[in-house]
Amino acid sequence: MSTATTEFVAKDFKSDLKPIWCPGCGDFGVLTALYRALAEIGKAPHDLAFISGIGCSSRIPGYSTAYGFNAVHGRALPISLGVKTSNPDLTVIVASGDGDGFSIGGGHVPHIIRKNPDITFLVMDNFIYGLTKGQVSPTSGKGLKTVSTPYGSMEERVNPLLYTLSYGAKFVAQGTPADMKGLAKILEEAIRFPGFAFVNIQSPCVTYGEERDMIKGQKEYMKNLEEMNHDTSNKAKAIEIALEYGDSIHTGILYRDPNPGPSYTDLIKNLQEESKSKAVAKDKILEMFRPRLK
Amino acid sequence: MNNNLIIGMAGAGGDGVVSAGDSLITALALDKYHAILTKSFGPQIRGGESSFKLRVSTKQVRSIGEHLDLAIALNWDDFLKFGAELPISEKTIVIYDSNTGIEPENIPIKGKPARVFSIPIEEMAIKTAKTNRAKNVVVLGLISGWYGIAESGIITGIRNKFTKKGAEVLKGNEDAFYEGVRYAKENPISSGDIKLAQPLADAKLKLLTDGNDICAAAAIFAGCEFFGGYPITPSSEIMQLLSREIWKYSGVTVQMEDEIAGVASAVGGSFAGKKSLTATSGPGMSLKSEIFGLATMAELPLVIVNVQRGGPSTGIPTKSEQSDLFQAVFSAHGDVVRPVLAPIDVEDVFTMTVEAFNIAEYYQTPVIVLSDAELAQRKEVIDDIDVSKFKILNRKKPTEAELENYVRFKFTDDNISPISHPGMPKGNYLAAGIEHTETGAPTSGGEMHAKMIEKRTKKLDPIKKRSDLFITYGDAKAEIALISWGSCAGVAMEACDLANEAGIKVKLLIPKLIYPIAESVYNDFFKSVKKGLVVEQNYLGQLFHVIRMFVSTPDGLKPFSKAGSNPFGAIEIFEKLKAL
Ligand SMILES: Cc1ncc(C[n+]2csc(CCOP(=O)(O)OP(=O)(O)O)c2C)c(N)n1
Ligand code: SF4
Ligand SMILES: [Mg+2]
Repeated sequence: MSTATTEFVAKDFKSDLKPIWCPGCGDFGVLTALYRALAEIGKAPHDLAFISGIGCSSRIPGYSTAYGFNAVHGRALPISLGVKTSNPDLTVIVASGDGDGFSIGGGHVPHIIRKNPDITFLVMDNFIYGLTKGQVSPTSGKGLKTVSTPYGSMEERVNPLLYTLSYGAKFVAQGTPADMKGLAKILEEAIRFPGFAFVNIQSPCVTYGEERDMIKGQKEYMKNLEEMNHDTSNKAKAIEIALEYGDSIHTGILYRDPNPGPSYTDLIKNLQEESKSKAVAKDKILEMFRPRLK
Repeated sequence: MNNNLIIGMAGAGGDGVVSAGDSLITALALDKYHAILTKSFGPQIRGGESSFKLRVSTKQVRSIGEHLDLAIALNWDDFLKFGAELPISEKTIVIYDSNTGIEPENIPIKGKPARVFSIPIEEMAIKTAKTNRAKNVVVLGLISGWYGIAESGIITGIRNKFTKKGAEVLKGNEDAFYEGVRYAKENPISSGDIKLAQPLADAKLKLLTDGNDICAAAAIFAGCEFFGGYPITPSSEIMQLLSREIWKYSGVTVQMEDEIAGVASAVGGSFAGKKSLTATSGPGMSLKSEIFGLATMAELPLVIVNVQRGGPSTGIPTKSEQSDLFQAVFSAHGDVVRPVLAPIDVEDVFTMTVEAFNIAEYYQTPVIVLSDAELAQRKEVIDDIDVSKFKILNRKKPTEAELENYVRFKFTDDNISPISHPGMPKGNYLAAGIEHTETGAPTSGGEMHAKMIEKRTKKLDPIKKRSDLFITYGDAKAEIALISWGSCAGVAMEACDLANEAGIKVKLLIPKLIYPIAESVYNDFFKSVKKGLVVEQNYLGQLFHVIRMFVSTPDGLKPFSKAGSNPFGAIEIFEKLKAL
């Protein structure tokens, strides 16, 4: 892209819309980290497409100057696939919530991982349904009392890190606005990764969340993978770390496939390139139905 | 001489009935006849009983017709399973395999056909090809011999198919065919001349295709570059043809994990600026409907093909019905108008698919094409389509000046706002399923919501003036009317002809634009009308009722709607008209 060399600063990606989030919501921090990451990447806002579903977290596209699509609940991933495959030159980022991404939209996750398009999937994981005012979410801990589980949830939580790793995601990371610098860096790496990249973001819901999951609480049990000298190419180790989801917050890249190979979008481009010469003129397209004596 | 002939055949799995039908229609197309072929299957996934019905003519035919001229039963059990598809009259000649051991006077069918012949089909197959699998080839020889048709095409077909299986197999099948021809010549089935008239002198080599394949071709012709879908009978062939061809045109076909994902990906493709398509059938339509609303709200062009089958729920996946009209028109929450088009035959599937893309792109709206299993799967020999007469419309892009201060959902005189797409500098905007202002900013303001609904509705008003999306047929001043749509329309045309030939003045209206209801077209049509029938293949009379929501219809206009998977016959409609 001709615009890739232009210098951008974080505020070039900030739109005029004022976020409707509750003061102190973790999503503010995520947004700031995103602006920074996008400035680092240096692609013009018009070459970025931000796709989201519905939820507090899914409001993110509106707060960016990029092209945005705030679609319907749970379907951001398949929409993003259509966008990316239609125009592989775009940088496509999906913003989602734990409910949007792992409940109603959860069925799409394995399939987009299998396809491995060059798309970045961000889930603002706050262990709760924020927008609909505090119901239990698929990542809520067992026993959590919410308005829809007044006697405590009776279900195990989904583990987003394990879920994506075990379906074969080639890039899995976790971050939190409690570490803004780290988060911006993770987002940048995820966007740069040439394939499907998943980042679970522990973005606290200050209104319906638990004390322990607030920025202050998080700091108690955050563990920095870089400081732990974690080898990001070691998938077995990544899975071991992922198993601690819910107990500790590991920040950083859990797994990055060192040999990611061509993405789905690369394969599509190749097939289109190879097929081009076989096209008959469109006004002759019906000739394929001409009966022939072979 | 006949210029019209209807043949039906049924047999067990492995008898090659369907492949015989395919060979026959290909050979007839090569002979430059017009023809339509329908196939029916038992419920088995593969290898169960099957049948074909083929109508061949020197002129264009509008439906598969009714009673058979020639019925072929390889065994009676299986033939009887297709009783409704293969109706026999007192004019039918029936042949069946002598190996059934039944005497001609004892065959298990109702009524009395013109003539019945027991013929050693299996015996001839074994004698020549050393296998009973060549029974279908013997039958092709019989048909070719009796009616004097299709010989060179069938023989070429046999060579194409069997050459790779070795000289012996090829020779066996050739011999089986000529054994059939010989038998036919030595044993005429009619005392009169039953030969089919020669194709018209100026007949040209035509096209042979079905409604699904031509739909996919039409999409490419219209400029479609994205297809997202999920397999479902009877629509899958649309995805399959596109997944073979679309790459050549820089397009993409994706088989997604379910129908919601299929249509969602197509909406994504459209947002990215590409003409996008999804195709499905009943259950898939039900799943997709939330996303249709998203496309309406975000004003994104999208074409949806619904190849209707028997419903609700799984219904009858392999059989045709016209019972998804209410769904196409109404399945939306909120105030939504969504154009719905219905093609009437295989050729029209091309026209309506291109039209659907044009309307979708020009008006920035989802458009539903209501095809059905009958159109989708019947093979038809069609005249060449003059594609140069088609205009291809594209979405209106913002001008340089408009991009200086781009307002995506700007209120305009025609309520259509120029649309950008990701990658277009200065066109950046937020598309949303949430209500928005002109710039795309989310809003919960009631006044803005009302204005936006009006914009999204009114932009479609000009479509209601599209009288070219209607066919009027028959006697323009008639007091008796027929209205019919989709695959039933061709039968209604034949019924209209029958009536007018019998001195009963009848006119016919065929809406290819199902929705929005073109009030003025109906009002004009109804001016002379006192009574009539709305003919459609569903139980509730769905078109009948939707018309009446918007138009006051003559008191004597009644629904003639019939559920069940067997199409109407022209005589049946004519009889009903007479009884009005
Ligand atoms: C089909 C559908 N069902 C339900 C909803 C209501 N709904 C909107 S957002 C949401 C859950 C949001 O939770 P999450 O995805 O975790 O996002 P958060 O608000 O916590 O960021 C629900 C249930 C909807 N919009 N659409
Ligand atoms: S409800 Fe929770 S997630 Fe939603 S804006 Fe408020 S703090 Fe953020
Ligand atoms: Mg949440």
